[in-house]
Amino acid sequence: MMTMSPAFLSDPAERLRASVVGIANGRRGRRAAGGAGAAGAAIAWSGDLFVTSAHVVTASHATIVTRDGRAVPGEVVRRDAERDIAVVRAAEAGVPAAVAGDPYALRSGSLVFAVGHPFGVRDAVSVGVLQAVSPLPRGYGLNGNGSFVWIQADVRLAPGNSGGPVGDAQGRVIGVAAMVVSGMALAVPVSDVERFLSGLT
Amino acid sequence: MTDDRTTLAMLSEQLADAVATAGAALVAVHARPRLPSTGVHWKDGVVVTTEGTIRREDDIEVTLPDGRHIPATLAGRDRGTDLAVLRIASGSLPVATLGDPGTLRPGHLVLALARIDEGGPRAAFGAVSATGGKWRCWKGGEIDRRLQSDLEIYPGFGGGPLVDAAGRIHGVNSGGLSRALATTIPVSTVNRVMAQLLERGYVARGWIGAAMQPVQLDPTSRQRLKRDGGLLLLSVEPDAPASRAGLLIGDVIVALDGHGLDGFDQLLDVLGGDVVGKTLRLEVVRAGQPLSVDVVIGERPRRAR
Repeated sequence: MMTMSPAFLSDPAERLRASVVGIANGRRGRRAAGGAGAAGAAIAWSGDLFVTSAHVVTASHATIVTRDGRAVPGEVVRRDAERDIAVVRAAEAGVPAAVAGDPYALRSGSLVFAVGHPFGVRDAVSVGVLQAVSPLPRGYGLNGNGSFVWIQADVRLAPGNSGGPVGDAQGRVIGVAAMVVSGMALAVPVSDVERFLSGLT
Repeated sequence: MTDDRTTLAMLSEQLADAVATAGAALVAVHARPRLPSTGVHWKDGVVVTTEGTIRREDDIEVTLPDGRHIPATLAGRDRGTDLAVLRIASGSLPVATLGDPGTLRPGHLVLALARIDEGGPRAAFGAVSATGGKWRCWKGGEIDRRLQSDLEIYPGFGGGPLVDAAGRIHGVNSGGLSRALATTIPVSTVNRVMAQLLERGYVARGWIGAAMQPVQLDPTSRQRLKRDGGLLLLSVEPDAPASRAGLLIGDVIVALDGHGLDGFDQLLDVLGGDVVGKTLRLEVVRAGQPLSVDVVIGERPRRAR
């Protein structure tokens, strides 16, 4: 029989968590991003760029709050409300960039992790499995956005997970958590994020 | 020390393999508006799903794993156990590999599977929460084993299988039997109900044609019969098994086929078995005197739907 160390789930979760920050609207968002309430999450992507959900950062400026509690001012440099993706530049935040995975390399039933700040709980981890990477099935809600490809997963998300990563069993980011439809977690696939980032350095 | 990262990747691969294996025997059942439900190809040409997801009895189609749509006909439905059985063309897809739900214990990792479109099978992940013996669900049917889990039964997952980490199917998940936990109708119950539905299109349940109420026995009868209670006959339908056997209003039935009757559960347990047409012995107290009466069990009239 295969024995597993009690820590076997924590390794990929820890890899994901290292690149997750809190984020709030405006220049002085530290309280919202660090405290209770439905603050969003963001992922350190590359250099000084952070990726989050468009519905988390609705102003032109945002404040990044690192795991060690530093508030770093940022600027929203690109935003797509329909795809629900935004990019924030925050110089000198000093957060290690996430490693991108490939959602299309996973299968239905593959383990996935989500990291975010559900109801203000910092860097909380939830675990589940992938359902599909496809447009939403007919009969599920979300009229109008039905043509987008979504990572659909059986993993618990709550307000505060928005903008945070959904990752694979190796702790690589495969998508950006966006919303919950019919109880199912939806995330924007990494490939769409990278297309959205193209040209930004 | 085991490399944790490798262990986790292996678990992830094993779960995905289990989904692929069991998913090959799943169809999407189109028998209601909007969202289809899931069906399990239980044996060749026979698909099992949940009764509650069948909203029309004609023009039913199923989607196969290769994306083809083929017609299906409703062989029968049983509201009591929330099961329905469809017939499809033989050889349309692989047959389910069944497991033994008796081997599952609380804490075992399990998956709920679904097929709701032309894409691949869908999965939800969790653990067995509770197991146990025979129970009667609120819809009235007898379920051979308790098998409940913390799985999320998403829209369209009803009628889909509960699958273990090796891809074996342990039963059919019902979205309608419990709110607190996902409830699985185990393999043995599916086999039992499916056989009846294929044979006659419905599940025959025993019936004696009388209205009853649980009562305490008088002290003398209690001492003499070593029983506490029974079922008091409040009315007896004409031309029904109870009246043909000579039962009278006011009789107290204390045992049926050797099973003491303190309440309705024991009565329904006996009548839920394969008893239609059989002669069973009733132990009765009439005017304080014990009496044995033989009754030929009838078939419960079927409600018009």
